[in-house]
This record gives sequence, structure tokens and C-alpha cells, in this order.
Amino acid sequence: MQQPDASNFDQQLEQATSQRLRRLAAMPVDTHGLEKRLRLQIPAPASRHHGWLGRLQAVAAALVVAGAVVAAIALWSGGPVQASAAHMAQVHRDIIENRVPVMKVDSIAQASRMLAANNPAALPQAPDTHVMACCMKDIKNKKVACVLLRSEDSPITLSVASAADMKLPRGKPVMHNGIAYHVEQIDNLHMVSAQRDGRWVCLIGQVSSQRLMAIASRLEF
Amino acid sequence: MRNALILTGNQADAEDLAQEVLLKAFRAIDQYRDGSNMMAWLMAILRNCRIDRLRAAGVRPRDVSLEQLELDPAAPPAAESSWQSPQEALAAFSDQQVIQALGALPEDIRWTLLLVDVQDWPQQDAAQLLGVPVGTIKSRLHRGRAMLREALLPLARQMRLAGGASPS
Repeated sequence: MQQPDASNFDQQLEQATSQRLRRLAAMPVDTHGLEKRLRLQIPAPASRHHGWLGRLQAVAAALVVAGAVVAAIALWSGGPVQASAAHMAQVHRDIIENRVPVMKVDSIAQASRMLAANNPAALPQAPDTHVMACCMKDIKNKKVACVLLRSEDSPITLSVASAADMKLPRGKPVMHNGIAYHVEQIDNLHMVSAQRDGRWVCLIGQVSSQRLMAIASRLEF
Repeated sequence: MRNALILTGNQADAEDLAQEVLLKAFRAIDQYRDGSNMMAWLMAILRNCRIDRLRAAGVRPRDVSLEQLELDPAAPPAAESSWQSPQEALAAFSDQQVIQALGALPEDIRWTLLLVDVQDWPQQDAAQLLGVPVGTIKSRLHRGRAMLREALLPLARQMRLAGGASPS
């Protein structure tokens, strides 16, 4: 029948447009010019002391003002951060080697409940994998939910954060089932990352990057 | 700065606007209520600065009334169906291309897309900031997304991401 297909297509168009706009929240911006202008505009308060103490106070005051300016710009720009492959590899190893506290769970639903209070980005379902444990990590002041999965007897860490918080690496992505993935390797680990449905999603483990992309493409948001 | 860039479409104007907003915020910091939403407070300042700038420049923002949204037809179905794989096609545009296309939209629709789609604000909060009912936000979202696609369609055809006649 024509109508359900047309309505489904309309929904696809709406979602695709909304998702493309959402990506603008992570767009890199150059704030150097703005920072310079603000530092010139915001004067340091006058010191009541003269000589070296007055100069020291002026420098301290200028540093406080500069810090406030930078903080305001950081807040205003909502700067996304990049989680390096090395960092994510460390996170993965810490989890599988029990070096960090994790919560034992056996489903995404349970992990979602456990992490709900601190997790800004809802977890997707991960079909064809066993869910083992979960925890929250802080990566450059951004909250990232980590779930330990097992796929074909191999541990894989699925990390999820808000797309506005995380930058994808530079370089040409690999397309897999219509989704663009950034693929990296560090030591014996492969890592794939992408933005999907307003979320940054990263999978890392000893399995091949093809296998990781296949798992990622089946995530259900 | 990012929001200012999305609204103005160019780095120089965005810096001017962002500077004005941050200076106003810095000078009015006493008025900020501790514990309340700082982003919402900054956005309100941004909105006021933007309106003032447009007035000073003698530009009357291209607003669109709810009645117009209902009467003004959306892009014809033939044009919408030109998008072959919407997700892939829209993902292929650069940020600059999307921002340029946003520039063609009426100011209030651009604000609605900025708050709800880009910044992921709840529709209720966007309605409050823009001073309109939630129903108007919903209509503007639907209409705005369609207008954005319409603005991007010629480029999509050039890039062979959509079907139909390519502009010469």
C-alpha cells in the first residue's frame, strides 16, 4: 500500500534532517579571535597597592578574569572532546582486568537502570552479544557510559556518550551498511567509533574491525 | 560561538554577536540565579542581542505566522521523494553547507531548529524562550526541516545525492 510507505519515508526524512542538524552541536569552532577580543574588553580591577605587590595583584586579577573568560567560552561553545584510541584502550583493559569497579549486569535494560542517574545518553540494545557489566567513566570531563559485552567469547567494551560531547577522529571514515565509522587500531585492539541517533558510540576489543562494525550496525536505538 | 555561527552564517558576525552576549553576561552575572540553567540564561541573552542587532541593521526578521505555516504548502511530494537515501544524503553535506542553507530560512524557524534539533532542547523550553505555544514549535520544526531540505536539494542534485533535474 502507498500510504504506509509514504509515511515511513516522511519519518525517515524528518529523522535524517533532525540528525544532521544535531551534528552541528559538535561542529568545531575557532574561538581564538573571540577570546582575544574578550580579554581586551574585560579589564582587570585596579590595585590599591603600588610597586611589586600592586603588579602581583594585577597579574592575579587578570588571571582570574582570563580564567572566567575561558570558562565562559568553554561553557558557551560546549566544546566536545576527543577520546583517543589509547585512552579507550586503557578504559577497556581496566574493565576486563577488574582494575576499576564495575556493576555486574546481564542486560542493557539493567545497565540503563544502574547508570540512569549519571548517564546523559541512553544505551542502545546490542543484539547477538552477552551483556556482562557496566560503569560510568569520565573522559576529559564528559560522561561516558561503558558496557562490557561478550561476543564469540571475546570481550568488547561498548562506550556511549552524547554526540555533542565527543568529537570523532580526523581521517576518512569507512562506510558499513550506510553508516560512517572511524576505525583505529592500538596494539592488539581494534576500535570503531561513529555518531548515531544523537550519540557517540565506540566499540573496542580484540575482534576484527569488520566484526565491530557489524555489531555497531545492529545496535538498536 | 557555535550558536552565533549558526544564526549569522559567518565567522566575523558570529564573533561580534558572541562577544556582545558574553560581555553582557559577564556584566550581568549578579542577575544570574545560582542553580538555574546557565545555558538557558545565555540563550536568552543571545536572543535579545540578536533581535537588537537585526533592528539596528534595519532588518525586519523574516518571521512566519502559524497561519502561514498551515496555509503555506510544504515542498511538493515529488521534490521530497527526490531524496534517495535521506540519511546518507543529508550526512554528506558539510557543516558550512547546512549553515548556509539555514540562512535561507525565516529567523524564527532558524531559532526553532537551533534550539530543538541542534541543542536538543525540550520543545516546552524552546516554546518558553521564543514566547510561542508548543504547537507552534512543532509546526515550525516540521516546516523548517522541509524548508532546509528544499534549500539543500539543488546542491544534493549536483552531488548526485538526489534525483530530478540538476540546475545548469
